[in-house]
Amino acid sequence: MATPRPIRSMDPYAQAFWAYTQKKEFRLQQCSECHKFRWPPGPSCDHCLSDQCAWALMKGRGTVLSWTTLHRAYFPEYPAPHTSIVLELDEGPLFVSYPVGIDAATLREGMVLTLQWTDGEDTFGPYHLPVFGPVAA
Amino acid sequence: MAAIFDRKRLAPLKDTVAIVGVGETDYGADYRGAGGKAMAKGEARYDSYTLASRALKRALDDAGLKKDDIDGLCTGPTLSGERASELWGLNPRWSGSGDAAQGIIEAAMAIHCGLCTTVALVYGNAQRSMDTAYGGARVTGGGITSYFYYAPWGLTSQGALYALFFQRHKLLYGTTEEQLGAIAVAFRKHACLNPNAVMYGKPITIDDYMNAKYVAEPLRLYDYCLINDGGVAIIVRRADMAKDLKHKPVMVSGFGWSEENVDATQLRPRLKDFYHTAHHGVAQQMYPMAGVTPKDVDVFATYDSFSVHLLAALEGFGFCKEGEGGAFVQNGRIEIGGELPCNTSGGMLSESYMQSWNHQPELVRQLRGGLGARQVQGAEVAQYVHDVAGKCKSIIYTKGA
Repeated sequence: MATPRPIRSMDPYAQAFWAYTQKKEFRLQQCSECHKFRWPPGPSCDHCLSDQCAWALMKGRGTVLSWTTLHRAYFPEYPAPHTSIVLELDEGPLFVSYPVGIDAATLREGMVLTLQWTDGEDTFGPYHLPVFGPVAA
Repeated sequence: MAAIFDRKRLAPLKDTVAIVGVGETDYGADYRGAGGKAMAKGEARYDSYTLASRALKRALDDAGLKKDDIDGLCTGPTLSGERASELWGLNPRWSGSGDAAQGIIEAAMAIHCGLCTTVALVYGNAQRSMDTAYGGARVTGGGITSYFYYAPWGLTSQGALYALFFQRHKLLYGTTEEQLGAIAVAFRKHACLNPNAVMYGKPITIDDYMNAKYVAEPLRLYDYCLINDGGVAIIVRRADMAKDLKHKPVMVSGFGWSEENVDATQLRPRLKDFYHTAHHGVAQQMYPMAGVTPKDVDVFATYDSFSVHLLAALEGFGFCKEGEGGAFVQNGRIEIGGELPCNTSGGMLSESYMQSWNHQPELVRQLRGGLGARQVQGAEVAQYVHDVAGKCKSIIYTKGA
């Protein structure tokens, strides 16, 4: 069994996002008319209201914008301490994840982290979770 | 986005309504219970309507008005307007629901339009009795919000989101945790001058603050608001009907409203802008309407589910430059007797977590005068800033004649 994780927020658009993760593809919606990327997934573009979009493959690279370490275990699946990060993806959107292969004390603003995959499972089934770590030397 | 508000239409609403009555429940006594200890979460003793009813009765008594004088009702988000009206025997001619600042602004609009004359704004929240969760698996909602969207990655709670905010502020401006600590210490000092505050009689020092455990690092326990039961009511009345009541009226002299929701779930306005676009939008409406500037504000209060809110509000409304909030709050400047006394009741950190509502009675009483050691001397202009994740409103109150 894959690693249990707190339940995902699911709607038809989120389902598409998570379906791509089954193939370890990190894709976000991009408006077909004005080309704005959006996250979280949704029915229309917040810039031009077009409902036409493509699921664009992200480079999987971002810079660290901020982070926090939870010292209280809010979820049984995530014992404390647990660190969360906010990345600014190269394509523009901000993306919340957690860091792997790096200690919270050594995180720095603007540090480049790249996509890795880890496993997850909730009541919607097993999936792959996009997480981020230092660029391999 | 273009600023489309019309200053000429807003200006005539200055001083058209007044706060004539305020009431709240016994926050401290209810929190400590009969045994003097903090009541356990989930130990139900009231529901939200009990607390709201009690506050309403006290606000009417404070105003010297009767229930039948009320023709408008605005309830806080934990109450059903229909049930509240039924419970209090009211058939309102206007009703609304929202936070306290929204209620005051909308009441002013409804009164200005002639729909009603006297609005009761009522809030009650038995959140400690009900063991309300603001993080973790029990936090749920109707759809997407950053509050719980990132649960699969282990990020949850509004506290963690404000921790990300403060971490960003640290990175950009070099603000220190010790600087932030001055806020919790000041508000606690104020609570110790307020016998109704939950934390009355429990002062803290900056060492206590620094020695407290992190909850969502870099935020510590004392950066977080309380979780307690309580109710608040505020009576808003047409200004020409607000004279000759028990207290001199407190005028609603200016207000503004601006929300910053684009890319909210991504946390962009929170981390890239500290919600300052919303603050600026509100300031542009409110200060000219009231005919004051930040320099005229004698007593200040901000929504403070976390200490960090004060940094954002002070910088966003121009009390100091962006990035200088940490330095601004030092050396007693935000304490009673200082240049800009902030959250003089103890706020949501140390008086009562009434989700914006407890700040209004405090500012009203500061402008009425006579608060003893807690009184801000010569207070004539008060400002409340409401900023919940970029949903920003603000109000200028002035002393009425």
